[in-house]
Amino acid sequence: MTDKMTFSKRAEFISKLRELLESGVPPKKLKIVMPHPDHEVDEIVEKYVPPSKLKYFTLAGALSGFIGGFALTIGTVLDWPLITGGKPLISIPAFIVIVFEMTILLGATVSLLGFLILSRLPSFKSIISPEDYGNEFVILMDRRDE
Amino acid sequence: MNRKDADPQDTSSGKKGNPTAIDYKDQLERDILYALKKPTPLYWGGLALAAGLVIWGAISWSIQIRTGLGVTGLNNPVGWGAYITNFVFWVGIAHSGTLISAILFLFRAKFRSRFNRSAEAMTVFAVMTAGLFPLIHLGRVWFFYWLFPYPNQRYLWVNFRSPLIWDVFAVSTYFTVSAIFFYVGMIPDLAIIRRLKEGIGKRIYSILSMGWVGTIKQWRHYNQLYKFLAALATPLVISVHSVVSWDFAMSVIPGWHTTIFAPYFVAGAIFSGCAMVITLVVPMRKMFRLEKHITVDHFDKLARLLLFTSLIVGYAYIVEYTLAFWSGNVYEEGQFIYRAVGDYAFFYWLMITCNVVLPLTLFVKKLRRNISYLFVLSLFVNVGMWFERFNIIVMSLAHDFDPYNFGFYIPSIIELGITFGSFGWFFMFFLIFAKTLPILSITELKEEVHD
Repeated sequence: MTDKMTFSKRAEFISKLRELLESGVPPKKLKIVMPHPDHEVDEIVEKYVPPSKLKYFTLAGALSGFIGGFALTIGTVLDWPLITGGKPLISIPAFIVIVFEMTILLGATVSLLGFLILSRLPSFKSIISPEDYGNEFVILMDRRDE
Repeated sequence: MNRKDADPQDTSSGKKGNPTAIDYKDQLERDILYALKKPTPLYWGGLALAAGLVIWGAISWSIQIRTGLGVTGLNNPVGWGAYITNFVFWVGIAHSGTLISAILFLFRAKFRSRFNRSAEAMTVFAVMTAGLFPLIHLGRVWFFYWLFPYPNQRYLWVNFRSPLIWDVFAVSTYFTVSAIFFYVGMIPDLAIIRRLKEGIGKRIYSILSMGWVGTIKQWRHYNQLYKFLAALATPLVISVHSVVSWDFAMSVIPGWHTTIFAPYFVAGAIFSGCAMVITLVVPMRKMFRLEKHITVDHFDKLARLLLFTSLIVGYAYIVEYTLAFWSGNVYEEGQFIYRAVGDYAFFYWLMITCNVVLPLTLFVKKLRRNISYLFVLSLFVNVGMWFERFNIIVMSLAHDFDPYNFGFYIPSIIELGITFGSFGWFFMFFLIFAKTLPILSITELKEEVHD
């Protein structure tokens, strides 16, 4: 059984949310839907919910792009050593460009992947029957096990 | 233009506090829905014109593929011409999209939210256009995949020391990241359109929005993602045009081999991109009646950005000459004298007029706030920036070291066809975007209007 509270005014929503969290309602029992992001809400929720884990995905992606870039460039010149333009086989300054681009590429794509995993998207249930609350701020509270 | 409607908060019939915000939110949704309504004959006319140009370009390209690169005006010594000009031009156009969406986001410049969706769309379409040109420039386009490193039976790998391979990596990364940025920014807005639409449209936007609900959990991951993407896109955008400039600067041709090329190209890219944003947004605002959301004040800010980058570009032109004359290098000096008084002097002075002289008028507040004037000026800047790339590429090649090796180049009808076709290709995608996707970032505008 869930309680549904809708607010069309942001201020009322924020004070209700603060009240609920301060009264000790576990954040897990609340499903909060907002029509747009809000910094003040973020600040309130931050105290009760651990920060987003997305950064680890970004870091992992960027690092693997960095290492992968060096592996690709150095690996291929060593695979078939062919001197061009009298330059050293392993030309680090030239390879840095490739490494940089691959760092960004994998950093961005893995971040996107992380976002999709963490926020449970695409959600097939919601694609088939969309859950829409318009411009309302909504708090859905799970009343079970009380 | 009515100055009063400068701020969305002031628009609704004098009501104070919360009702204004709610009214504005509803108004915004109505306006977005209006933009997605059945197109007018004017729209179809524009789309038909753009598609016609694409067909012209496609026919020209098919002639070139069947006949060979001989149908172009390219020769020895001028081996790079209109195609590479177009490539650099379109990559440059793309840049201000990322500037507006990512860099201005990190700097918390509020006016960006009015332009960022169109600018991001512009970025994606401009990179799609730019990416075609290295392929068009290939003699045997069906071997384009040789540009990518992949294991093959001849044990050959690409040459990672070549700036042209850097370009492959830079441009394909840029396309991927800006497409991700464009799409991610749109997810919550697609969910709003899903709510407003009925029938088959609702189905399509449901799928496109991936079932976004807007729970606080989703928003927190979303904000984090957006911040990271902006932070990754910012160095990326600077690297991409730097790499494009190194296609030239890494060679030894006088006029190309110079250290200012990277910052000079990046500033020029942002300059031309700002002009293209104005070119696109002015008609779009009129057509879809967005005057309430994109006001004169917002255009004023964009015009200042245009003026600022124009000053950087003008400064770069001066530095280029100064470096040449103090280089003590006769070839370098000869190249720059040739630019000002040689075969292509008309285009050189056209470039100076369009890119440096005309934008100076933006110091006048009245002109900066005159939308029609801005639109006309942006067209001049687009022309000027196209010729900047043409001048750098063609003049340097036509007049390098040995007078015996001097040459001359004019684009052939095939090259012109493909050039106009590329404009058609770009505008066609933009027109389709304007009718099918949310043209303003709805959630960001809603967030701005607090109750």
